[in-house]
Amino acid sequence: MIIKETKLDNITIVAPVGTLDASTASLLNENKVLSETSATVVLDLSQVDFLDSSGLGALVGIARKKREKKADMVLTSMNDNVRKVFEITQAFQLFDVYDDARSAAEHCRTKTASQ
Amino acid sequence: MKTLLTIRENSYAWVTSALQGLTPLLLPICNKPFVEFLVDFAVLAGSREIRLLSDGPLQEVEQYCEDGSRWGVQMSYAHIKESDDLQTIFEKNRRFCNDSKVMVIDGFVFVGYDKKNDYSDLFNSMPDGTVASCTTGSIRLFTVSESNMANNDETPVSLTPIDSVESYYDLSMHILRHESSRYVLPGYGSEPDSYVGRNVTISKSAEIIKPVSIGNNVQILAGSVIGPDAVIGSNVIIDRKSRITESIVLDNTYIGEELDVEHKMANRNTLISPQGAVSIAMEDPHLLTGIKDTARGIGNLLRTIVHALTAIVLILLLVIPFILITPILAVQGKWKSSRKTCYDHTCKGAISLPDVSIERSGPLSAIAFALSLDRLPTLFRVVGGKLSLIGNAPMAAEEKNLSPPAATPGYRPAVFSYAEAENWPVGGSDAAIVERFYAIHSNPLQDIGLTMKSLINRFHDTTTA
Repeated sequence: MIIKETKLDNITIVAPVGTLDASTASLLNENKVLSETSATVVLDLSQVDFLDSSGLGALVGIARKKREKKADMVLTSMNDNVRKVFEITQAFQLFDVYDDARSAAEHCRTKTASQ
Repeated sequence: MKTLLTIRENSYAWVTSALQGLTPLLLPICNKPFVEFLVDFAVLAGSREIRLLSDGPLQEVEQYCEDGSRWGVQMSYAHIKESDDLQTIFEKNRRFCNDSKVMVIDGFVFVGYDKKNDYSDLFNSMPDGTVASCTTGSIRLFTVSESNMANNDETPVSLTPIDSVESYYDLSMHILRHESSRYVLPGYGSEPDSYVGRNVTISKSAEIIKPVSIGNNVQILAGSVIGPDAVIGSNVIIDRKSRITESIVLDNTYIGEELDVEHKMANRNTLISPQGAVSIAMEDPHLLTGIKDTARGIGNLLRTIVHALTAIVLILLLVIPFILITPILAVQGKWKSSRKTCYDHTCKGAISLPDVSIERSGPLSAIAFALSLDRLPTLFRVVGGKLSLIGNAPMAAEEKNLSPPAATPGYRPAVFSYAEAENWPVGGSDAAIVERFYAIHSNPLQDIGLTMKSLINRFHDTTTA
């Protein structure tokens, strides 16, 4: 799995590419922007073609750590495969999910500014 | 214009508790799923893209609607959080809304419209704001880039909350009585106010009094009276001399003999009063008790003779194709034969039966399957009186059989099963209902007809083994 990072209005957009499962979840956990900084980030899932429970567990873990640091991780651009995993597990109740990276970044900026 | 349908789980929680087994968003209103009315209205309003948003499960409705191509629209699905307000919903779906005019239908509400009207020009010319509202929902127009809002005084459509069993019943009856022509309802009918689905068998002595809406795969038996004001769902059996008036019989329901259902809703084995949603369990005399042992008496002798004669005819017809085709399939490894032990008709003993499966690849195996050559070896058991030609699928004599023949009144192991004849999946609980139904209702002549139906169904069966 490759992890791309871009900036949009000072908000980091992290875009994993490929499969997010037990073998690749650790790469996401080790990502500095996701795990170490206390900045709110956008996770672009448009290029994740498969997500399993380990991958979902990694996302929940990262979001939990972010929230402990008064930040957040919002998700964007889920494809149907990923969305179905979120539906089956009801995980969509745990995340803010946007269909567009720009509006997700705007949400993050507003949230950061209000803190 | 685009349409956002936002339906929150708490608005339809009553469906889950009062009408068990139904998917709320697919709740049938005059046999048409609720969500289809919304899609139809969105199409009339000029929407070509519809997004369904909910904080509850969408899997089943997604399976039903798929990508919306059957309505000529593009349907997509997304989840919202319970706490999301409309502004947040817009932000989360900004790519979808994309600066175009958006109609938001919010809530578990029924939109009253008229299929003859074209709402697209009207809605496009209307200013942003609330088009219609009721206690539990609203229709609003938004242009994402604009912020001026107004309330539209003229309401071209009506909204009816569906927030209880009573409101659901009242709405269904109102549409059936007064507004059926305003919507595209499933089924056909030579007269107005009468909608009849596919594969509906109505006895000559049954009476249908309109307005009625009847779903697919329905059997209405002798002496029954359906209507006025009756909605009969799909996969329903109305047994002899029953009367259904001002009532809704939901899918997969069996109404027993001589039962008067008036101003009620029937859902599987539950009878519900619309006022207050008081419900009682319907006892089904055929499923629970009282099935006579049909394996005795002169009637059974006649049945055995008819079955044996029919089996001989079938053997004569099938023996030549059997001799020509099966050796080739056996050589190809597509003809797999084994033996299985099943309960016999006494439910106490066991019989060993040939168990043949045909690997359905290639034209020869397709022909063999269509001709039911795999059943030929068991036809000889019919001639010998050990099996029936048509009856129950033979039940494997296993120690852990969850539903032994002792719990299956009228059990008659057979070459063909009644479930096959009626095209129901063999082995499921639905198949058991069909088989038990015919255990008391069938006669030898009807058995021949049902056997022919099984044979024909094999021709149309395109599933691969």
